[in-house]
Amino acid sequence: MQSTTGRFPDWIRRQWPSGEVHQEVKNLLEGLNLHTVCQSAHCPNQGECWSRRTATFLVLGNICTRSCAFCGVSHGQPGPVDEREPENVAEAVARLGIRHAVVTSVTRDDLDDGGARHIARTVTFVKEKNGETTVEVLVPDFCGDVNAIACVVTSGPEVFGHNIETVERLHPRLRDKRYSYQRSLEVLRVARGLKPDGYVKSALILGCGETETDVLGTLNDLRSAGCDAVAMGQYLRPGPGNGPVAEFVTPDQFKRYEQAAREMGFAFAVAGPFVRSSYRSEDLLAALPAGK
Amino acid sequence: MSKYTVTLPSLGDGEDALTGGKVAFWLIEMGQPVHAGGDLLEIETDKAAFVVPSPVEGTLTERLVREDDDVSVGTPLAVIEID
Repeated sequence: MQSTTGRFPDWIRRQWPSGEVHQEVKNLLEGLNLHTVCQSAHCPNQGECWSRRTATFLVLGNICTRSCAFCGVSHGQPGPVDEREPENVAEAVARLGIRHAVVTSVTRDDLDDGGARHIARTVTFVKEKNGETTVEVLVPDFCGDVNAIACVVTSGPEVFGHNIETVERLHPRLRDKRYSYQRSLEVLRVARGLKPDGYVKSALILGCGETETDVLGTLNDLRSAGCDAVAMGQYLRPGPGNGPVAEFVTPDQFKRYEQAAREMGFAFAVAGPFVRSSYRSEDLLAALPAGK
Repeated sequence: MSKYTVTLPSLGDGEDALTGGKVAFWLIEMGQPVHAGGDLLEIETDKAAFVVPSPVEGTLTERLVREDDDVSVGTPLAVIEID
């Protein structure tokens, strides 16, 4: 079923962000000089999430040193790291009353630790200032540097996330050449080994030309690497410079993938056209028994 | 009676913020009533289709943009007459 213009199927439709709460969140984030992946990725969920007074913070600037074909975040030579950013994220979490804070970052191959200490500091500040708030990090591969992964894991986030993004077959085409499918699995495996009782999460964008067999294979690989939470959503082209959408996956197909993931043993699986790695991620902790 | 001009709301002043899109089609006819939060028109960005809501309750008396027009944040879209 297509919309009148034929560009998007009916299920790829959101409300344009507006309203007082949205404006309040916008002013607060700008006042603290913070970036969000909501804006940098032109996320269609921004209206819904910001109206619920939540946002996904993008730390270490908004310029990525890598360039993946699917991603809307700008790439190039990043500027210096804002040392006040961890405190400002903690302040924003407090003022917005966020109970589950998601902190993601651009990839910073120019920094000796890939930005791991800065991410860890952010987790620490958020937790110190917001005693009840749980934290989820979504990090790059740190070039496989175990010390960098450990630095983030030991800062104490309840959820450690690293996105595999796409199936093995499409990895060379869609991801920056410095990423690799096997290395991303290794990052998840290392995180699992460092924190056997924490949640390890990954996400896939679908509609890039993968088959069902590809997707199920990747879900299996993620489980084998110790990943126990997964999110799957539709690839939406951020702009003319990005690759085209190969297919709009139907909501029913997403439900089948979600069901398949649960049957494979993922403790948390969510899939849908507008699901993003951090979309409604607070449900992950809410849906599971406390104390993990 | 007063007139309210609906503009495309800003999503943020950051250099990364979404700045606009293309009008796909109108969702209500001229002279029809609309409630606050009711659908006015649909615009498309590269990523998705977005429904633009009316911030006020009233009657649509003017369409200030047409299908296929490029619109940016702040562009006047419609006039709503408020009772």
